[in-house]
Amino acid sequence: MPNKESEDGLIEKRWLSALAKGDSAALGGLFELYGERVFRYTLRMLGNRSDAEDATAETFLRVLRRSGELRADGAFRTWLFRIARNLCIDRMRQHKLIELPTDAQYGGTEERTTLRITVHQALSELPMEYREPLMLCDLEDMPAREAAEVLGITVPALKSRLYRGRRALRDKLGGSMIR
Amino acid sequence: MNESTLYRKLVDLYAGSELPAELEEEMEAAGFRDKELSHDMTTLRQTVELLRTTTRTDLTEESMQRILMKLYSRGVDIQPKAPEPMHLQYHLPIAG
Repeated sequence: MPNKESEDGLIEKRWLSALAKGDSAALGGLFELYGERVFRYTLRMLGNRSDAEDATAETFLRVLRRSGELRADGAFRTWLFRIARNLCIDRMRQHKLIELPTDAQYGGTEERTTLRITVHQALSELPMEYREPLMLCDLEDMPAREAAEVLGITVPALKSRLYRGRRALRDKLGGSMIR
Repeated sequence: MNESTLYRKLVDLYAGSELPAELEEEMEAAGFRDKELSHDMTTLRQTVELLRTTTRTDLTEESMQRILMKLYSRGVDIQPKAPEPMHLQYHLPIAG
């Protein structure tokens, strides 16, 4: 039985070749596959829903504009996240400030809500070079090789930043982890 | 390299649940003998788990509609293509 990853890979290939042939409807298929992940990533990068919605829409717009360059060789997802990342960095430069999500969906008990806010706060206080590997590898579950490509660094450098980031986050969280 | 140094180097992989089960068990056993190692293993793994479980940010229906509207307003005719709902994929035999 094909696993979800290989199934998504086949669907991605189909939409990419359709888009490369000028079938603009294929963008809807790619949005269905990756829209939510790109949105989650941009929301974590930018810290507010409105900016994340703009960045997600712009990311897919760029995919459409550059559809002639697309290759169905498995590198699409890396390219997509790179576009999203560059857009987020541009936006962050404009704002010069990363806000905490004020409209995050905080459900559950009061204790859980406090914990979520604490983790968001600690994550947002980390330097970007630590925060990005954490977001891609631990939150998006992206393989190290792919995350390294998105960030334009080597795999050992990514792992080093990821491990340091986890330690820095642990130190910031301190007592919040005692459950 | 002695055993303790090796385990200390593997703590990060342990935290991310990237070790094979057998090695993970070995590390946990080593943690019983070495409090500092045990503390490192537990707190780092808790950090990763906390990150994964407390920072979920879902794409709400409202956000999705706003993203689609932004694309429509830029002239993109986008229609998300969700898989066919299950009840439309399979036809149940009608009894009687």
